Amino acid sequence: MMKSRMMIANFALVCGLLGLGTGCSWFGGEDTPLNTPTEPTVVANPTDEGTGASLAGSRFEDTLKKVEGITLSPVYFAFDSYALAPSETAKIEQVAKHLIANASQVLVVEGHCDARGSAEYNLALGENRAQSIRTHLTNLGVDGNRIQTRSFGSEKPAMAGSGEAVWKMNRRGEFALYQK
Amino acid sequence: MFVSLSDKALAQGDPLHITITKTGAKKDSVSLAGLRASGANGQLFVQTLKRDLELSGWFKLSSGNDGTINVVGALIETGSGIQSSCKVAWPGKSFNWTRTAASSTEVRQAAHALADEMVEQIKKEKGIASTRIVFINRRGSNNGDVYVCDADGGGMYQVTHDSAGVIGPQWGVNRNDLIYTSLKPGYPMLMRQTIGGGRKTLANFKGLNTGGAFSPEGRRIALILSYQGNAELYVLDLGTSKVARMTNTPLGAESSPCWSPDGRSIIYVSDTAKSPQLYVVDVESRVSKRLTLKGSQNVNPSWSSKGQICYATLRGGTFQIAMMNPAGDASSEIVPGQPEGCEDPSWALDGRHIICSARNTLYILDTLGDPAVRLINASGNWRSPDWSK
Repeated sequence: MMKSRMMIANFALVCGLLGLGTGCSWFGGEDTPLNTPTEPTVVANPTDEGTGASLAGSRFEDTLKKVEGITLSPVYFAFDSYALAPSETAKIEQVAKHLIANASQVLVVEGHCDARGSAEYNLALGENRAQSIRTHLTNLGVDGNRIQTRSFGSEKPAMAGSGEAVWKMNRRGEFALYQK
Repeated sequence: MFVSLSDKALAQGDPLHITITKTGAKKDSVSLAGLRASGANGQLFVQTLKRDLELSGWFKLSSGNDGTINVVGALIETGSGIQSSCKVAWPGKSFNWTRTAASSTEVRQAAHALADEMVEQIKKEKGIASTRIVFINRRGSNNGDVYVCDADGGGMYQVTHDSAGVIGPQWGVNRNDLIYTSLKPGYPMLMRQTIGGGRKTLANFKGLNTGGAFSPEGRRIALILSYQGNAELYVLDLGTSKVARMTNTPLGAESSPCWSPDGRSIIYVSDTAKSPQLYVVDVESRVSKRLTLKGSQNVNPSWSSKGQICYATLRGGTFQIAMMNPAGDASSEIVPGQPEGCEDPSWALDGRHIICSARNTLYILDTLGDPAVRLINASGNWRSPDWSK
């Protein structure tokens, strides 16, 4: 079991540092339940590699066409939290139903935060919000290979301004569908 | 007192000014009365040197020739630059200093070098005049760029022209080498860039790629990745090309790694205890320990060459800059004389001054008690500074 985990970790590392293009599929979350810090893993020197464009080929948003005209409701979060409130899970169930009914579509879940606090922490918090939604989708039966995540931290608020009425609209997960 | 900066900065449309209001800590008086300067570049040298000596925190300028320290000599105009030759003398000691500068940029660099030499020889401390500061101008939603300037606010230069989200710029292995997270491709990607030169992708895993911080010896990078499921702290060894995972927090988000001066430990932010707090991990054993208990949030750590850690602490609803030793925040102190709402601190090479952001601009704080100095007066949304070593 440990060995197979390491192989997955190896492959994912190579994807990140070398960019094997679309041949590199998603391995994350429950697919690789690493319970201990991984051992050092050999990869080629990333500084020897090419431009961002050549490395970014495995991202849905770089290679696939965005699906327009389908509105999926944003999922909202409490302050400093990526826990899914019961009021929000019905929205994720709608997304799961859509993905199961449309097998040729894939999803990018986008995590966002309100403007308060450290921009660096917010980027990590936004990623965990997206991951939390992704995990819920896979628990509902969606293939994890069909879901990628990205965080914009506090860089892309849905609403400008300050105060809780604004902040609560900005602590969110959004959904972008792509056609395979 | 406002002092205008170099012609170059003004010509680039960046009418920066710095306000010098330092009065707090004990200082030695310096007289430049015996320094003969000819032409515009000679004056530029003298003005730059004066500003550097004041910003160093160790000196005050004497208007006459009665300083404890006397700088005597000549700055001779040579075409587009100067030939400088002078002697710095203080009770019982002196050193000679000569330098050729071929442009106004080099004139400023020469003045910075003399200021640093004086700090090092007279005060036995590290000079900061030749160091640089990197920061972001955030113009609005998902729209910012990376800038650098000298430690006196002059020589401002726009490094990126992406008009895209950019987060956490930091210095790499020298004063021309930068690392930052760009949202330009539509997702976070870790970039390395030479100032005035090209850039490369440093990490582009699925999910998050951020928090890049070079180790003191420059062979390793601490970074935050999420390809294994959620945001975790990793160390990438550039020499052996190996990646090691430092944290295992399925219910936590890590960010803002920062190395100890000896390269053995990394302080980082984690929210495993609900709110973002500072932790330290021993890189060899990969064992983490919580450092902060005071304050509802503690973020953006920076570890000085003298062993102190400064960070932004949220207390009473406002961020402010605190410092502590590596044992934790039981003995933490709030840095004196700071304006309201300071965030994103970074130590200067001298282990005395701190650059931070507040009210959309940058301030230099002095842990020995001089008043804060506003570094940039130009309009903009200046934030996230990192001070080079």
